Amino acid sequence: MGFLATRRRPAATSRVRTRTGMLRAQTFVCAMVVAAISMGACTRDTRATSTSSELRVMTWSAIESSARGQTVTMRMWRGDQSINQFMDTWVAPHLASEFGITLRTVEGQGPEIVNALLLERNARANGTADLVWINGETFSNLRREKLLFGPWADRVPSAALLDSASPIIMRDFEQELGGLELPWGTVQAALIYDTLRTPNPPRSFDELARWIHAHPGRFTHDQAFTGVTFLKELMYALNGGVSKFQGGFNEPIYTQASAKVWQWLDNTRNDFWREGRTYPAGVAELHRLFANGEVDFTMSNNQNEVITKVRQGILPPSSRALVLRDGTIANAHYLGIPASAPHAAAAMVVANFLLSPEAQYEKQRPEVWADGTVLRTSSLSPDWQRKFGALALEANAILSDTLSKYARPEIAPQYHERLNADWRARIRDTPNR
Amino acid sequence: MSEHRRRTSPSASGRLLRNALLIVLALWTLAPLLLLIVLSLSRNWYAPAVWPSVWTGEHWGRLVAAASSQREALLTSVALATLTALLACLLALPFGRLIAQSRGWPRRWAAAMAFAPVAVPPIALATGMHFSLLKIGLAGHFGGVLVAHIIPAAGYLTLFFLGAFSAYDLRIEEEARTLGATRGAVWRRITLPILRAPIGDALALAFLISWAQVPLTLLIGGGLVRTLPIDVFAAIRAGDDARAASGSILLIVPALLAIAGVRVAVRRTGVVGL
Amino acid sequence: MTHSRRALAVGVVLVLPVVVGFAYALLGATDVIGGLGQPPGLARIQRVLSEAAVWRGTAWAMWVAVASTTLAALLAVVLSLVYDGTSRTDRLARALMNVPLAFPHLVAAAVGLLVLGQSGMLARILMFAGVIADSAHMPELVSDRFGVGVIVALTWKEAPFLLLINAAVLSGHGRGYQEVARTHGASRWQVLQRVTWPLLWRGMSPALVAVAVFAFGSYETMVLLAPSNPLALPLLTAERYVDPALARRNDAFVLAVLSMVIGLIAVAVYERLRSRIEDVGHV
Repeated sequence: MGFLATRRRPAATSRVRTRTGMLRAQTFVCAMVVAAISMGACTRDTRATSTSSELRVMTWSAIESSARGQTVTMRMWRGDQSINQFMDTWVAPHLASEFGITLRTVEGQGPEIVNALLLERNARANGTADLVWINGETFSNLRREKLLFGPWADRVPSAALLDSASPIIMRDFEQELGGLELPWGTVQAALIYDTLRTPNPPRSFDELARWIHAHPGRFTHDQAFTGVTFLKELMYALNGGVSKFQGGFNEPIYTQASAKVWQWLDNTRNDFWREGRTYPAGVAELHRLFANGEVDFTMSNNQNEVITKVRQGILPPSSRALVLRDGTIANAHYLGIPASAPHAAAAMVVANFLLSPEAQYEKQRPEVWADGTVLRTSSLSPDWQRKFGALALEANAILSDTLSKYARPEIAPQYHERLNADWRARIRDTPNR
Repeated sequence: MSEHRRRTSPSASGRLLRNALLIVLALWTLAPLLLLIVLSLSRNWYAPAVWPSVWTGEHWGRLVAAASSQREALLTSVALATLTALLACLLALPFGRLIAQSRGWPRRWAAAMAFAPVAVPPIALATGMHFSLLKIGLAGHFGGVLVAHIIPAAGYLTLFFLGAFSAYDLRIEEEARTLGATRGAVWRRITLPILRAPIGDALALAFLISWAQVPLTLLIGGGLVRTLPIDVFAAIRAGDDARAASGSILLIVPALLAIAGVRVAVRRTGVVGL
Repeated sequence: MTHSRRALAVGVVLVLPVVVGFAYALLGATDVIGGLGQPPGLARIQRVLSEAAVWRGTAWAMWVAVASTTLAALLAVVLSLVYDGTSRTDRLARALMNVPLAFPHLVAAAVGLLVLGQSGMLARILMFAGVIADSAHMPELVSDRFGVGVIVALTWKEAPFLLLINAAVLSGHGRGYQEVARTHGASRWQVLQRVTWPLLWRGMSPALVAVAVFAFGSYETMVLLAPSNPLALPLLTAERYVDPALARRNDAFVLAVLSMVIGLIAVAVYERLRSRIEDVGHV
């Protein structure tokens, strides 16, 4: 009996000990988890976000001084090493030394930015992005959902230097900027070919169609922005130019015009790469196919991308750009500030700097980004005019006369959205006959 | 037993076949690493060239440059993976032990619930979790990505420790306590020494789960938290194959070191690997 | 608290993120959150689940998962039977098969792209050897309808795991059972058929489920190697999530719910198989 008694008690005690021990261990663990997470959680800037109306009242020097010491988070497409290097190794140090602003660039393409801002609003979370690199339908979506801060772009001193006479710059896919976004650069779409493989490239869509039939499996386009731009240019070419599409989106005109695009594609896609059954996801994948000799053409929204990509070693040195005689699309890209931006004032300072002649020149240099300027160079100092003028004489670049002759403007963003969606449904997701 | 082995020793042709297969196996497993090394040292290496014509150290030089986003991504990954390993292990050890002490359907249900965060496709899990993490302000921050990494790691490691504790007789601890040992002493002198190897292996496993993670980091981090796999992913999607290659090698080498522990771990406890 | 209650509490803590994620996905799928003008209801779910592309994408992902798991299992079984001793060859073989474990799936997929592409390393070697004339004659192994590239990359990654499971199985009681059978006069083939294979199969089966469901949801492998038509379910989910047509964004939540349901079915199957091993005792 005594023996049994002693046997019983220790078991009960050990159970109690185990239970409290477990509880303590678990509480400790939970505390550690919480501690680690809050360590890693953002140290959010507790300064109040200046509202648009507050910023309108402040002088520019007040805005600049309030921006000192802040960190600006910029969401931009980071798929090009040249652009990343420009931002990280030239823009960021200049901002730090001249304005005391720390620039942090993070990946975010148009639709991703819209998604992120919408999610943030739905979750009633604090904003994270201060500056976004946008254009076209992204701008349209953001504006419609009232996700943009402003109007602010007209307040920026550098805005006075803008080439305000240019419709390409001052209208984004036919939309009024309304001070909600600031032009940053201009580009024109172009095809890229290899002079060694294709010494006599086609110069129009008709010639291209004949070339594709004569060289089956050597051409394709990507599924993303550049590919849809290509389809849009095709739509212009098959429907007598851009004039029919200008003045806002028109459903019957779109239906009739796009039918011709689908017909052209149906006639040609069997001679596309992989018989048109599959398409590269983005333009970078298309570049890879081109560089490795699987296709003989690639394309770009920037006529000068061929220069930077050759320098990076992604495209072969014999690559050149060409614009089709049917016209290629010239457009601009812009900077916007989200409505939930925690550092709107600092973002304005960054945008102002990016628009300065210094930054625009550096950006346009072929060794850097080769992206066109949005400034009216004729109103700059003679020194700057000379510098910008020298840039236009780059060896492999397309002559600017040629470029402007074949430049076509953008049209309403709904055309882009519809072409994108309909292409996916009618061509990509439908096996060809 | 050795007698038995000698009786059934392979014939000469059998040995030849095994050796030939070994060579094929070596090619199958080592060729990818070799390709990555060569690619990281090359430039303009297009088809149909079987070997690069231009060799360069620029992709590796980028790592030690003044402002290197690749190096920052590497450091972020190291921090994330280390913290994931520690915290997931701290959670999973008691959790696995608790499940191991149960029987019948609660045990089965608990094990199934532990496996769920691992089995659900990450893209699906992340789209659902993103919203809640946004609400509590963790999305887009290191802390949020850490939580996202710990979730599958803790589930995985719980199953691992369930296996480890199933083989471990808890009565040893009870006996020790009967003899008067304190809880701490039992922990230090009995439990930990026995579990030291599984704990080390569990840390390595959780480290690897976080180290190689892509979709959770992509969606929860939202571009704001940049780990080394994300950097490699971005490089591939941008067509910068050489940068992707150097980043990949940086991902593989520490993992190879951690594998030594995992190999022993799985063999010992028979738990499903990554 | 009893052992059962504590175990269940642990399970609840671990499964909570999945439950929360599922709940939010459901809220998005029914347009309770982020409907952007569409009233809450089942309309979106009905529309998305009636799209042929969705089921094609799901079937394709399942095909790839089953094919790669089967091949990985075959490879693992063959290797574990051929190299089951302690000689230097055996140990070297087992050591080599650890190398893929160190590769993230992303890197394995990237290498797959570089090797199996029409202008990839394999094609270049074949061109060099004169087997094919140019890259156009190389068979399509990536971005192809059958997902050959995806399957190869996944098999390459998963076979080492299954090999480890097999090693664990055989090094346990397995060796003993084999010896007993031999001493009772069974031939090598009979041992293989009646003892080794059932042991391996029982030990591997939960792992097979885990590997298959992982392959099914493997985003990074598919984004690099899969075709655009049929578009695999993980890729379709990601595409809808950032769709420029904002009204289609919530479709991604419907697809997430679908993926999660499939994942949870796999969990149930896995658990049945795992507990069967436990009930019998260590394999």
